[in-house]
Order: sequence, then structure tokens, then C-alpha cells
Amino acid sequence: MPSWQDFEPFIVSGLALGGVYALSGVGTVVLYRATGVVYLAFGAVGAMGALIAWSLTNAGTPDWLAWLVCVLFSGAVTLAYGIVFGPPLARRDPLVKAVATLGLTLILFGLMDLLWTTNGGQSRAITLPTDNGGFTIGQVQVTWTQVIGLAAGVGIVVVTTVFLRYTKLGTAMRAMANDREITATLGVPVRRVEAAAWLGCGVIAGVAGLLLADLVALDATTLTFLVISSLAAALIARLRSIVATFLAAMAIGLIHDLLTPIQSLSNYRDMTPFVLAAVALLVLSRHRVMTASREEA
Amino acid sequence: MLDIAGRTAAARQRSPLRRPGRRALIRAGVVVVLFLFVLLALPQLLSLYYIDAMTQVVVYSVVTLGLGVLVGRVGLVSLGQVAVLAIGAWVAARLLFATTQPYPLVLLEAGVITMVLGTLIGLPALRLRGLYLALITLMLAGAITVVLTTTNFPNGGHGLLGYNGATVHIPAIRRPAIAESDPAYYRYAVVVAALMFLLVLAHIRTRPGRAWAAIRQSEPAALAAGINTWLYKLWAFALVSFITGVAGGVLAGAVHYLYSINFPTQDSITLLAVVLMGGAYSLWGAVIAALLLQLLPALLNNWGVSADWLTILFGIGVLQVLLTAPRGLADQVPKDLARLGRLLRRRIRRPAPPEGDPA
Repeated sequence: MPSWQDFEPFIVSGLALGGVYALSGVGTVVLYRATGVVYLAFGAVGAMGALIAWSLTNAGTPDWLAWLVCVLFSGAVTLAYGIVFGPPLARRDPLVKAVATLGLTLILFGLMDLLWTTNGGQSRAITLPTDNGGFTIGQVQVTWTQVIGLAAGVGIVVVTTVFLRYTKLGTAMRAMANDREITATLGVPVRRVEAAAWLGCGVIAGVAGLLLADLVALDATTLTFLVISSLAAALIARLRSIVATFLAAMAIGLIHDLLTPIQSLSNYRDMTPFVLAAVALLVLSRHRVMTASREEA
Repeated sequence: MLDIAGRTAAARQRSPLRRPGRRALIRAGVVVVLFLFVLLALPQLLSLYYIDAMTQVVVYSVVTLGLGVLVGRVGLVSLGQVAVLAIGAWVAARLLFATTQPYPLVLLEAGVITMVLGTLIGLPALRLRGLYLALITLMLAGAITVVLTTTNFPNGGHGLLGYNGATVHIPAIRRPAIAESDPAYYRYAVVVAALMFLLVLAHIRTRPGRAWAAIRQSEPAALAAGINTWLYKLWAFALVSFITGVAGGVLAGAVHYLYSINFPTQDSITLLAVVLMGGAYSLWGAVIAALLLQLLPALLNNWGVSADWLTILFGIGVLQVLLTAPRGLADQVPKDLARLGRLLRRRIRRPAPPEGDPA
């Protein structure tokens, strides 16, 4: 059993990772509540945005412009998808809507493999300037990027909660989460509110993509499926509570990284989100009553 | 339910008095002729490269058939079928290295063990429905992939896992004595796949099939009608895990060497994409899906086109299928094809388009 000292750096990295998972998880939950879509292409748009930023930086574009393009790209693609495919699928089962976003995932995934071919061991990396600066707590070196990761997670929870509670647009989104038809009848411009949710989710995907590209790795497959982990956090919160999503994401990030120094479990640490989500879903669904109100497609 | 294209359904509606027995006989005859062609003539016509590709098509047609049964018949979407296939392949490879049992017995055992594992996994997961079930299977597939990456596939080593970390002199996974060569193994795979199709057909045509149809339409209604929905859903999971496990066993012999990178999580997504494109509601859809999944990459590879285009095509295909069939494929695709057929006949005065068009 490793000593406490071995775990300390992984608490820091775990909190940072958890923060980014929380960021993506909250983005997923808000979009799901507003539009009924579980956005499975979240990781893919973020990954493609990060890859575009990488290419731009290599071509000599200033860093801040490259990051801006990354975030704007994710936002634009997500918004475009929401505008084109949102309305025709609006009345369909949540499962159909989720599978449709898998279509977008496959398109983006193919494009990424095509445009940024993985050639041998050459690996790409995005290094944010915040990697270099930092401070130490006790023995542990903390980079500003890790601080940003955690801050992004906390920030998104606060901002989203305030936004949903006190703004007009947020109230409209909450209303749509309850009943899209009635909300439309009451005169809320449903499509415009949905478009706002899509754009917000896309922007969050871009930010999460950049942060994860720095904190984990810049690789299309890794980033695309890393977001399954944040989806796990959203699932544990049953796609409802923002605070629960945050807590679940922090737990996933922490447990994942704290398993690293333990020899026997280290190789299995990537299972953390899956196992936690599976257990949580199974336990939470134990007392569910079958209703006829919603049918699968 | 088993109509492939809308033409037959529409024709039957127009003339309900036509003898169905003859029609069924003709259809069965066509299937038998096709089967014999695929079994006997195809390996004579193709190069070794395409025989290998067709073996993959045959193996994956069983996998797509399984997912098609879950999606199309029972209405359960699983995003973890490639992980189930990997389990089947793992078990078969371990048994083939450890024992000298005849190949069919190993296939049967791989199927049964995968069935038990799949059922154990499915048992709690079946409490969930729709979206949640799809996502939980994706999670489980991710977890299984992590385990397989760590434990590796058996390569002739000892112990429970049978992996010895050797990089040279790895023994190949053996094939049945009667099917050592590639064409012979292709025929072997065709026969096994045909048996699996018959097994599924036997289920669909009888009591379980009717129960599944009722569950797909409305689970509460099925429950009210006295159908044990829990049992039949589990039955579907067990059947699908069994045939997918057998397919994994056939795959093990086909490729000789198994690696965990051959079963990435994204393949489960691609699998769902092609099943939806091929048509989850007919048995022919499984064949079309397998052709899309395995023959097209081989063709593109031969032509020097990147397989990434195919991924993009599958993505577009999923969106297209979901958009143009707003009430579900079972309802819309036959109607659409019939409508398209009528339209084309009227416009160009030509016969209807070929049946089983994947679009």
C-alpha cells in the first residue's frame, strides 16, 4: 500500500479532472433539460475544436486566437446541429435523439481521423501557458491549468444555477424542461431558447475540449470517449440535478486519479466512471414504477 | 413482419386472396439458392483477400443480427455488442488453447458462457429502459474494454488468463481440421452463421417473437396482456449473447490472433449505425449491415480510399435513417420504399428499385 505522500499529487490532478468532468457534465444536463437531447457528440466537437486550435497554433496563429476559434467552432457546429436536427426530432423518443447525435459523432470522428492522421509515435499536445506557472501546497506542485480546471467546474455550477433561477432565458429553459408544448403555448420562443441551449452547450464543449487536451491528451479517440466519463457523472445525477452532477464528477475524477498509485488497481482505473455510473443507475432505478406515459420508439 | 421491402407488403394488401403458401415457397427457394451460391460458388469466384473479407462479413452478420433482434424486435438499444463479441472471442480462444475439444463444441461452449455472462449483465440492466439502457450498455462496454486491454487475449500462455506476454512465436488460434484453409473456413463460417439465423428465425416465428413484438409496441400493454415481460426481455438478451458469443468463437479462428485493440468501444457505435442503416426490422437488414461494416472497408482499402470516409458515411446514414422515418423504421421504410417504387414507376415507367436498398 503506497503512503499518503504518493496520493497527494493525485488529489490535485483528480480535483482538476473532476472539475472538467463537472464542466462537461453540467453542459450535458442543461442541454438535456432544455431540449431532451443527450448530446453524445460533446467530446467529438471538443476534440475537433482542440485539434483545429493545435493546427492554428502550429501555423503561427496567436494562442488566444486559436483558443477562441476552438470554442467558436464547437459552438457553431453544435448550434448548427441543433438548428438543423433539433426541430425534426423534437417529438421523438429521447433515445432516438441521443442516437442521432451519435451520427454527428461518427461524422466528426471520421473527419478528425482523415484530417489529423495519427502517424506513428508523433503525438500532438496543447500546452496552455498556465501549465508553467503555479504554486506548491506542502510537497505538491499545482499548475494554474489545474486550478482553472477546478474553477471551471465550480464556476459552471454557480453560473448555471444563477442563470436558470434568475434570468428570463433560464426560466424559459426550466419551463421547457417541464413541458415543451405548454411552454410553446405560453408564448415562449421555443426554438430560440433551444438554440441558446445548443450554443451554450457547444461553447462549454469547446472549453472542456481545450482543457482536457491539455490535462489528459490531444487525441481524437481519447477525447471523444473521455466525455463518456462526464456523461457518467450526468447519469449518476439522473440527468437532473446540477449539484449532483458536480459532486459525481468530482468523485469520478478523484477516485480515478487516486487509484493511479495503487499497483493492483492502477490498470483498471479507467473503469471508474463506468462502474460508478452502472452501480448508481442500478441502485437508483430499483424502486421505479412502470408508467405508460412515455413509450420507447 | 418479415417483409423485406414494401412491395410485398403492399402487394399482399392489394390482393389478400392470393395463396400465401406459394409466395412463401418461392421466397424460401430464393433464400436456399442464395445460400448455396454464397456457400459454394462465392469462394471459387473471389480472391483470397475478398474471401477473408467475406468471412468477416459472415461473422459480423451474426453480430448485427443479434443487435437487430434487440433493437428491431424487442426495442432495446444496446451500445455494447462489440464487447459481448470480444467476450465470446476471448472465451473461445482460451478454450481452443487449453483443450483439444472439437471446434463445434468450443463454439457452443463459448456461446453458452457468453450467454451466462451477458444474462448476468443484462439481469440488472433490464430494469432500465430506453435511453438509460443504451447508456448503461455503453458504460459496461467501456468497462469490459478496459478489462480486456489489461488482461489481453489468450496467446497460448498458462493460467486462467492464458496470456504470457510473448511477442515472438505466438501460436495461432487453431481452426477445425476440416476447415484449415481460408475458403474452407469461410464455408464453415457460413454454415455456422446460417444455423444462427435459423435459431433466431425459430424464435421470431414462435411465441417469444410474438411476446417481443408486444413488448416493443408497449411494455405496459404487454404486461397487462399477461406476458412475462421480464422473462422475455431476458430471453432476448440471452439469445443475442449466445449467437454473438458463437460469432466471437468463429472470429477467433478466422483471424488466428486476437488483440484488444480489435474491439474498440467506438465499434459498438458503428455497429448500431450500420444496423439502423441496414434495417433493424428484417433479417436481411443484418446481412446488409454486415456488408456495410466489413465488405465496404475491404473494397475501399483495395481502391486506396481511406476508411474514414466510411465512418463519415455511417454518421450521415444514421441521421438520414432517423430523420426520414419519424415513426420508426418498422413503420416507415416499407411504406417509403413502396411509395418510392410507385413514384419511380410512374415517372420513368420502369420497374421498382431493387429490394433491400439500404437507404
